[in-house]
Amino acid sequence: MDAKFYKLLLLGGAVRFYFVRTPLASLISDRVEFATPLNSQKRMKEGIYLLDQGIDPYSGDLVHESPLVLKALSGLFLNFPQWLPLIYILLDLLTGALLYNLSVRFVKQKLQKQRLERKNYAKDTEQLQYNDDDNYDIPELVLIAYLFNPLTVLSCIGLTSTVLSNLFLALFLYFLTKGLLLPCIVLLAFETVRSLYPIVLMAPLLLVFARRSLIGGVMLSVLFAIACVIIATASYLVLHSWSFLDGTLGFIFYFRDLQPNIGLFWYFFTEMFEHFRTMFLITFQLNATVLYLVPLSLKLRKEPLLLATVLVALMAVFRAYPSLGDVGFYLALLPLWKRCWKYMAHGFVVFTFFMVTLSMMGALWHLWIYAGSANANFYFGATLAFSTGQIFLITDLLFAHVKREFCLYNGQKIMIDGEEARILLK
Amino acid sequence: MGLLSDPSISTQNKLVDNLAKHVRKVCCGLYVLGVVWLGCLALPEFNHGTYLSENALSPGLVYPEIRLDANRLAIQLLEELQRERKEHKSTTPHAWIAAKLNEFGLETHTHNYTLRYPFGGGNEYHGKNIYGILRAPRIASTEGIVFTAPYRAPSSVHPDISPSVPLLLAFADFARRKNYWAKDLIFLITEQEQLGMQAWLEAYHDGDRVLNVSKAYLLPGNLPARAGSLQAALNIEVQDLEVDYVDVKIEGLNGKLPNLDMFNLVQRIMAREGITSGYKQTARKKRRSSPSLFEKNLRQMLAMLATQSSGVPNGNHGLFHRYRIDALTIAAAKRQTHATLKGSAGSAAVPLLKAIEGIARSLNNLLERFHQSFFFYVIVNNDRYISIGDYMPALVALVACAFFKAYLTWSTLDSEVQQAAAATVKTAETQTGSGSGSGVEAETDSDTELEDGLPYGSVLVYLTAVLLIGYLGNVLPLQQYFLEIPMGAAPLTTSVLSFLTLIGLILPFVVVLPAGGLELLHVGFLLIFGCSLIIIGLLNFALGFFVAVITVPVVIALDTSEHNCNGSMRNLTRFITLLLNPMVVVYVIVLAMSFYQYPELKLDKLLLRAATAAMDASAYGLIDNVIYGNWLYFVVSTVFLPLWILCWTLSLSKRRDIADYSDYEEQQPRKPEPQTAKFKTN
Repeated sequence: MDAKFYKLLLLGGAVRFYFVRTPLASLISDRVEFATPLNSQKRMKEGIYLLDQGIDPYSGDLVHESPLVLKALSGLFLNFPQWLPLIYILLDLLTGALLYNLSVRFVKQKLQKQRLERKNYAKDTEQLQYNDDDNYDIPELVLIAYLFNPLTVLSCIGLTSTVLSNLFLALFLYFLTKGLLLPCIVLLAFETVRSLYPIVLMAPLLLVFARRSLIGGVMLSVLFAIACVIIATASYLVLHSWSFLDGTLGFIFYFRDLQPNIGLFWYFFTEMFEHFRTMFLITFQLNATVLYLVPLSLKLRKEPLLLATVLVALMAVFRAYPSLGDVGFYLALLPLWKRCWKYMAHGFVVFTFFMVTLSMMGALWHLWIYAGSANANFYFGATLAFSTGQIFLITDLLFAHVKREFCLYNGQKIMIDGEEARILLK
Repeated sequence: MGLLSDPSISTQNKLVDNLAKHVRKVCCGLYVLGVVWLGCLALPEFNHGTYLSENALSPGLVYPEIRLDANRLAIQLLEELQRERKEHKSTTPHAWIAAKLNEFGLETHTHNYTLRYPFGGGNEYHGKNIYGILRAPRIASTEGIVFTAPYRAPSSVHPDISPSVPLLLAFADFARRKNYWAKDLIFLITEQEQLGMQAWLEAYHDGDRVLNVSKAYLLPGNLPARAGSLQAALNIEVQDLEVDYVDVKIEGLNGKLPNLDMFNLVQRIMAREGITSGYKQTARKKRRSSPSLFEKNLRQMLAMLATQSSGVPNGNHGLFHRYRIDALTIAAAKRQTHATLKGSAGSAAVPLLKAIEGIARSLNNLLERFHQSFFFYVIVNNDRYISIGDYMPALVALVACAFFKAYLTWSTLDSEVQQAAAATVKTAETQTGSGSGSGVEAETDSDTELEDGLPYGSVLVYLTAVLLIGYLGNVLPLQQYFLEIPMGAAPLTTSVLSFLTLIGLILPFVVVLPAGGLELLHVGFLLIFGCSLIIIGLLNFALGFFVAVITVPVVIALDTSEHNCNGSMRNLTRFITLLLNPMVVVYVIVLAMSFYQYPELKLDKLLLRAATAAMDASAYGLIDNVIYGNWLYFVVSTVFLPLWILCWTLSLSKRRDIADYSDYEEQQPRKPEPQTAKFKTN
């Protein structure tokens, strides 16, 4: 919490404030890469208006935001629309600050843990260990990565509700590192009822709060379920109807809107035969939620925050309506694993992938929608390559972590018969 | 999964290290591969025969019904028009055209537009288009087809194409009597070349939009009547009713093309009516030696790419593409000799009229917009084409050089920086004496240096500054302040651009990046270069490919390393980089074109003429940009100029002396910025 922290926050705010007043803002809020049916600001406005007029917002096919959010923001939207960008910017800065605090705490915990385990480490591994400089470096990197990543900046100036999702996720992670159970469960339940996929974050939560007791785990799950029910009931009280469940969770699960986005769903669901839809729906949703959950939880049981990062990242890749704002969020968490970077072999390739595919998306979208000469396949090609790049990144992070763990205890240079050793995965 | 799960612990990859030694060879190989691949596409084995994908078109399914009376009408109208032209030397005989359209029973309207020419203090021009709509008897005006003929006043410098108007009118009269039209037909006569067309199209599609009058240059006005969504357009430019051959022009704005089906349709119908027609068709010459098929194909292909690369449409049809309307021009040339006259003069225009009727009736059959066939193709012969999947690999191979080199430069970056840092530590030690305390300090310094030693911050600032220079080139000439200077567009644009180029030229001498910065800038440059070429190649393949062919060798030759610097090689690179300055390139192209056009001029005069022509070209580029939306000027000033500045910086490879560098390091032991971009590159 030094002066630099505030300077960076101010600078991040200034950048957002500058861009929100340019024509770029309205352009971004219409781009499919940033604004999906779930988070677009226009739909939110519509929902708030409908709710205000006493019409069920979910009777049509436009609004998919949680009624609690609609109700909470309705005063702001209806009375002070000119302050809206400012509020969004402040919320985004708050997310950045939370991430900063979270990483400060995270590094402290790491250093503490390291002090206990140090005697087991191999000799030449200082490079792989967290040191005192990281107390300042890593939180700063996290903050910079969140505040100055073009993806989050654009997502914020487009006034997408991804800003809110990121805030809630950051709050959740913050409380997770702080070890506060109740806020964690409430936030997670809220996000789950709002956008389904965060339910997978129960795994890191259980790993933190109920590490060795089965009963504790069951208790927490029950508590989580109760919280979900309470939040759903609260939504019901706002709306006086249960239609919101189908309008939000049902809309996500059944993937009703085929509007193109950066994800993998839309193309497959426009192409496939209708009678296979249910099967593929289940396959895709399994892939986005539980498929990687168990193996990752087993492997990363000692690193709940890494598990959370990877799950958030996988969510951003495989969810039904992903937006670039989600991608920006998990990218900001990567500096926490700065000590693994040494083993991340594909950083440059992934960066190039991101750069090329993101700029190609713009060009191909123009050719497809405006010029009419390219078609959906071109655009899907670009988004598929982008997703591949993300998968590369996530896999790379996991491998780097495994390698670091190994080298930490066995030394960085292992020679067998005069040749460099290789790790075999068996 | 070996790619993802590399089991070796060491971060050093041997394959990469070995490859890094042969970057140039591999890149040269890729370059040659790309160019050869494109050349190979001219071979018949590598391209495909054209075919009609859209069954609805069914060209030639009906017998043409247009007869001699239409031809007679055309001849009569042409005579009347010639009389009118004697009275209207520099204007269009609007009244006569409107009267004729009315007489045929079409819904006739006029469209007024205004051009506010921004340069040299500002000026206003007015223009008028005339169009008649034939409402389809079978449908409620939801779709339309446009037939246009540009009118040129006798004072125009371009070849006379006045017979197009009578031809269009004769066809309109014929079409009026038929009841099978399922789409509204619009007969449009425009003036002032592409300006009139652009104004009409803008008025048709955005006429209701309230323009910001102070910023708009072309005020298109509004249209009194429309005819639904336009499906296709045919532009007719006929020099004489007696036709020698028909040249089908397809290249549109920013290198866009109409659907290949449309071209094929025109070719089929023309062939059926016995008219010699083709893409870039020229008069048959008696040749002593006929070139081989390969050579002919290659010429045709390169000619097409050359036309496309400027992004300037070669006919009024090109402006339709912007509105997603497939359009092409049939330019009929005058018959030079009467020796091979087939019919009498009284029926000369019948084949062309029949062809237009055939095209119209095929387009009338369309059930939806053209979508079946290719939009991205290169025509190698009248009946052979190359699709995007075949020609894109050529560009990808060229661009892959940049990415490949970037990757290898990046992977060897760490070791190089380590060496450099070690060198600095040594010099620092020798300078500060052998005090053990200072030695330890330097040691720790170098440790942190190794971890995040690359000056990401300063490189990022440098990149942004360079991009800003390019952006200014796009914005500055249109500032109100400059526009009010009583200076022509050409000198204004040229002076702004040369000023910016000069800044770029000096920049590397003024700003010297810290150690490692040059290498990092190199990587950044390669990435931006590759990325922008891919994007430009997607939007306009010809432009991207030609730029890649010219620039990639220099990009391969660039070398920023201190050691093994080969003096002559480096100087050669610098020289070529200077030659590749966008302004120099534009000048050279214009010079070559004027040499080709006026071979009789002396060299000094030629150079001077080319200079003025190049200045005009840059001004036209800007005007095309603001009026038609041609983005060539934008690309040159905002993308190529910054890239050139970066390239120039790298070819100079100015670095701080080691002594300076270590001084600097002592003053600022830890720079705060370096971490800024580290994350982004990961």
